[in-house]
Amino acid sequence: MATAGKVIKCRAAVAWEPKAPLMMEEIEVAPPQEGEIRIKVIATGLCHTDLYHLVDGDKRGFPVVLGHESAGVVESVGPGVTDYKPGDKVIPLFLSQCGKCKFCKCPKTNLCESSWATKYHDIMAEPTSRFTCRGQTILQFMGTSTFSEYTVINQNAVAKIDENAPLDRVFLLGCGITTGYGAAVNTAGVTPGSVCAVFGLGAVGLAAVMGCKNAGASRIFAVDINEKKFEKAKVFGATDFLNPKAYNKPISEVLIEMTNGGGVDFSIECTGNTEVMRSALESCAKGWGVSVVVGWTNVQDFSAKPIQLIYGKTWKGSLFGGFKCKDSVPKLVRDYMSGKIMLDEFITHKMNLEQVNDAINLMKTGQGIRTIMTVSK
Amino acid sequence: METEGKVIKCKAAVAWEPGKPLSIEDVEVAPPKAHEVRIKMVASGICHTDWTFLHEVGKTMNPQPFPVVLGHEGAGVVESVGPGVTKMAKGDKVIPLVVPQCGQCERCLSPKTNLCSKNWEKTQQCLLADGTSRITCKNQQVHQFIAISTFSEYTVVPEDNVTKIHPDAPLDRVCLLGCGVSTGYGAAVNTGKVESGSTCAVFGLGAVGLAAVMGCKAAGATRIIAVDINSDKFEIAKTFGATEFANPKDHSKPIQEVLRELTNGGVDYALECVGNVGVMRAAVEACSPAGGVCVMVGWTRMGELTLVSEDILLGKTLKGSYFGGWKSVEAVPKLVQEYLSGKILLDEFVTHRLTLDQINEAFDLMITGKSIRTVIQM
Repeated sequence: MATAGKVIKCRAAVAWEPKAPLMMEEIEVAPPQEGEIRIKVIATGLCHTDLYHLVDGDKRGFPVVLGHESAGVVESVGPGVTDYKPGDKVIPLFLSQCGKCKFCKCPKTNLCESSWATKYHDIMAEPTSRFTCRGQTILQFMGTSTFSEYTVINQNAVAKIDENAPLDRVFLLGCGITTGYGAAVNTAGVTPGSVCAVFGLGAVGLAAVMGCKNAGASRIFAVDINEKKFEKAKVFGATDFLNPKAYNKPISEVLIEMTNGGGVDFSIECTGNTEVMRSALESCAKGWGVSVVVGWTNVQDFSAKPIQLIYGKTWKGSLFGGFKCKDSVPKLVRDYMSGKIMLDEFITHKMNLEQVNDAINLMKTGQGIRTIMTVSK
Repeated sequence: METEGKVIKCKAAVAWEPGKPLSIEDVEVAPPKAHEVRIKMVASGICHTDWTFLHEVGKTMNPQPFPVVLGHEGAGVVESVGPGVTKMAKGDKVIPLVVPQCGQCERCLSPKTNLCSKNWEKTQQCLLADGTSRITCKNQQVHQFIAISTFSEYTVVPEDNVTKIHPDAPLDRVCLLGCGVSTGYGAAVNTGKVESGSTCAVFGLGAVGLAAVMGCKAAGATRIIAVDINSDKFEIAKTFGATEFANPKDHSKPIQEVLRELTNGGVDYALECVGNVGVMRAAVEACSPAGGVCVMVGWTRMGELTLVSEDILLGKTLKGSYFGGWKSVEAVPKLVQEYLSGKILLDEFVTHRLTLDQINEAFDLMITGKSIRTVIQM
């Protein structure tokens, strides 16, 4: 390939500092080193985590190219890479799966020692980067940095997918949909016939609703203060719809009443709001209720009465839906291609990378579910 | 027996009001009504919950009804049964239960929980199913602590709150299976589901914590780190299976940091057996992010556990249990069997033996950390 082994000049959306709009810049992308893959990014989405970092992130995490939900094509590979070749369709991953560390060998976790998160989760990026702009190093967000026409990622964090997969759909499996869906089917372990409640109906929450439905739940409460989201929740399988602002008592009490005093079997919190995390736990059935925290925040502490747990509830967290990323994402792609999971219905807006600040504004104002941004042709 | 069907006058330790020592009184115990069992108590242990109920009102315990006869860790012999009771009869050895098992409600039919919902509200109000008590003193109704009241020579318990045990069982030891030992042991094997080869940490080395250590060992844990601010407890923790000991006061760093370093990232299972929200947080933070499980065992109804949500987001699980998750009526007789066959230890928990009129002394021993379990011989 004409670009292999050379520095590529291309366009990327750079966040020079917190809270400032992203700037389209020409950057230089170095060739992949040992064990790395350089990818031409075709499509990318915007996640709340990108927004959190931009608005509230640690200053040491700047300047940075954001983006961690994408799909693309291998442009070239570095020394030691044998499982990937130019032209392969891939999805970059913000988690790693080296397959050799104690975490990868443990069926209970999807953490990996080789991940950036193991050491640098405060700044959300590795200190070394393959990006430079006007002589300055630009960090790569979550090891992925997909707001760029080209990016470089360690092979431990790249999933090779079906050659027929539509990249403008399956990019969603890089973060949001996998996260929500897996929280239901893996972490919560939703069972057939059960009663579930999903708090927060963005892409992650809707994916959780889809997961509850696929797991055979008999009743799925969709909870959000924005009722415009109820229609889409129904599409994904929700059976009941609750706006906490429509009640003068806590939503957990409403849910307990609506389930004949028992509480739901599974609750999944997808907002990142600690008050909602508490409500989700308190909505669960005494004795066996399971509540899963999916929404992310490092700003506030969560608080609950220990008696909730002593009376038999379980509280857990879920990262990337509990999926072993390299093993699972290709399977989820095939599930989409065979109609088992929905992806099209999550996409509400289409833009190109130059319009990234518009996409950010849509997310800030709660409009739409997922915006797809075309990055490269 | 000449007492059958009649009111029995006997001695009981009555708590007239919160914050005051128990008072040994002559009480009257009415005959059992339908589906109730009157028991001659032979032995009773003393639990921290009894003390909490009496002394921690408004702190870690919600306001509770007084006067009350406390005690919920006892063993005795059936004196008589009320109409409809078929599972036990006069002379049977029995253990009253802090959690019932009616066998019919949704929760009893679920394999996931032991929290029988029958009579739940009444027992939490320290009354029997019909909303009254069977104990009176000086013409005043006296509440029965979670419908049990083992600090009395005789008590009356709903039949779902009592289980028949092996006739050879030594009541002065198996009484501990009424609460503390079953709670700690079950928290490890049932709730935490400790796995063979795992690394565990147990916070707090009273009877519940030591039983949790024993449960971790029975489950085949490789490393069991016993944590307590009282180093005098480490010797007995070793008896129950602890492999390592940590006193938070010996370290300048937070204990969870110490444990994470000792275990290269965190323990697989942590069991909090103190009932302190600060310790609960430390226990959570001591767990491995890769599937670590933290079980809340120590009781506190009030108080708020505060955590960084990121702490569990990576993959930790928090849970808790009541009475070790055991289905009480069917499990306690099996635990008695396990004691009789040498599978679980009970003798080693008993550090003092006193009489009912020495019950306040027993409380002092517990609060000052001088005892593991004191058994009151009735």
